[in-house]
Amino acid sequence: MVSAAVMLSVVAALAWLLWLAGDVTGRIGTARWVGGLALALVPVWLLLVAYYAPIEVAQGIIQKIFYVHIPAIIPTYFGFILSAIGGVLYLRTREDRWDQLAVAGAEVGVLFCSLMLVVGPIWAKPAWGEWWAWDLRLTMTLILWFIYVAYLFLRSFAFGSDTAKTYTAVYGIAGVGAIPFVYFALDLAQSATMHPTNPAREGLPAEMGRTVGVGMLTFIWIFAWLVAQRLELASLQARALVASRAETA
Amino acid sequence: MSGPRVALEVFAKDLRLDLRSRDRLGHMAVFALLVVAMISIVVPASKTERLAWSPALLWVALLFTSLLGLARSFQSETEEGALALLVQAPVDRGWIFVGKAGASLVALIGVELWTATLFTVFLDVDWSAGPLACAGAGLLGAVGLAAVGTLLSALSIGVRFREFLLPVLLFPLVLPILVFASRITADALAGREISAQLWWAFSLYDWVFALIGYFVFDYVLED
Repeated sequence: MVSAAVMLSVVAALAWLLWLAGDVTGRIGTARWVGGLALALVPVWLLLVAYYAPIEVAQGIIQKIFYVHIPAIIPTYFGFILSAIGGVLYLRTREDRWDQLAVAGAEVGVLFCSLMLVVGPIWAKPAWGEWWAWDLRLTMTLILWFIYVAYLFLRSFAFGSDTAKTYTAVYGIAGVGAIPFVYFALDLAQSATMHPTNPAREGLPAEMGRTVGVGMLTFIWIFAWLVAQRLELASLQARALVASRAETA
Repeated sequence: MSGPRVALEVFAKDLRLDLRSRDRLGHMAVFALLVVAMISIVVPASKTERLAWSPALLWVALLFTSLLGLARSFQSETEEGALALLVQAPVDRGWIFVGKAGASLVALIGVELWTATLFTVFLDVDWSAGPLACAGAGLLGAVGLAAVGTLLSALSIGVRFREFLLPVLLFPLVLPILVFASRITADALAGREISAQLWWAFSLYDWVFALIGYFVFDYVLED
């Protein structure tokens, strides 16, 4: 049931963000409800992590990092997918709203990706005996992080706002093109696979599974709310720019 | 002028420029010499260890050297507003990409031959175990680097801190080239069989980025 709610949430959040990007000024009021939902989910998630999910026998309390680490995957990929969708739509239509959606997705995606990369080693040290195992999924996530940090650098260093928008859209497309090859290459280059392929199917206790699921729900709606904030900021900036231009003219 | 004709003209112009000024090729050659000399000094002395390290080191050295050349691939266009005139050619700008990438490809193949020679002389690498496979990896690697590098070099024309930004943009995207090429080189030198999957993935990578470059170049050069 929880996994169905997670899937439904991903679809709903995506649909809401695409709808919101259409008219940020007029529709940003709905962000209040999304923020409220995220805010309501946070204490539920934390209580489940603290009291409901059992303490893992072999790893002890440190295993609870799991409930931050795993849910962060969804917003990470969600952000990068948003940025690719936004980039393609921007190049096709040249409408600023798609560009704003692309950048918002990349920024918030990098945030969650960083969170995942930072808490991972803290858990890996006691669990695997080393901070950084260079295993397939870890390295893949690191390269993804590099690509999208480069994307944000390009964004802030390009001269002229239209150039920056085009360049980041192009780089976002090139990045998406490279991702399957990077995955294949890494798979080839290193044999170590420390990450379990699918924790849910490998006999994860039901309490742990449900706690992860609620964590995912929480993160998805926090993500959607943050992207909405970023979109509002971008639309306010655009309005301020127009206003200041009108004043000088 | 038709598209392929424009590509050919741009290609010939860049090649002439490279041969006349010899700036780009000369700098890359000296840089490669330096890097390979440094590598030769620090690499362990035993023959087996050198052989094990050489393929990876060769491709890392090539990556850094080619970065030097790729960063300069639009230099002649940015001077005196040549770029603004170039984009007025009444053809799909993808053809300009083809011409520029083609010229970079020739320069990169030259650099590869030079670096391979340096590895033979300094590190005693024996290519006879798989010369064709190594040449194939070199060609595919050069095509991939030229395609991705030309696209990103064009992206970083109008950007601050470009000497910092170009490697940051380039390296994560060309990581597959580094892995595929050094794996093929290592297998070839050790006399192992090279999986067909590897060749397919490598060729596909080149195609994907050549096509991305061709199709998005119109947007990159429009301002």
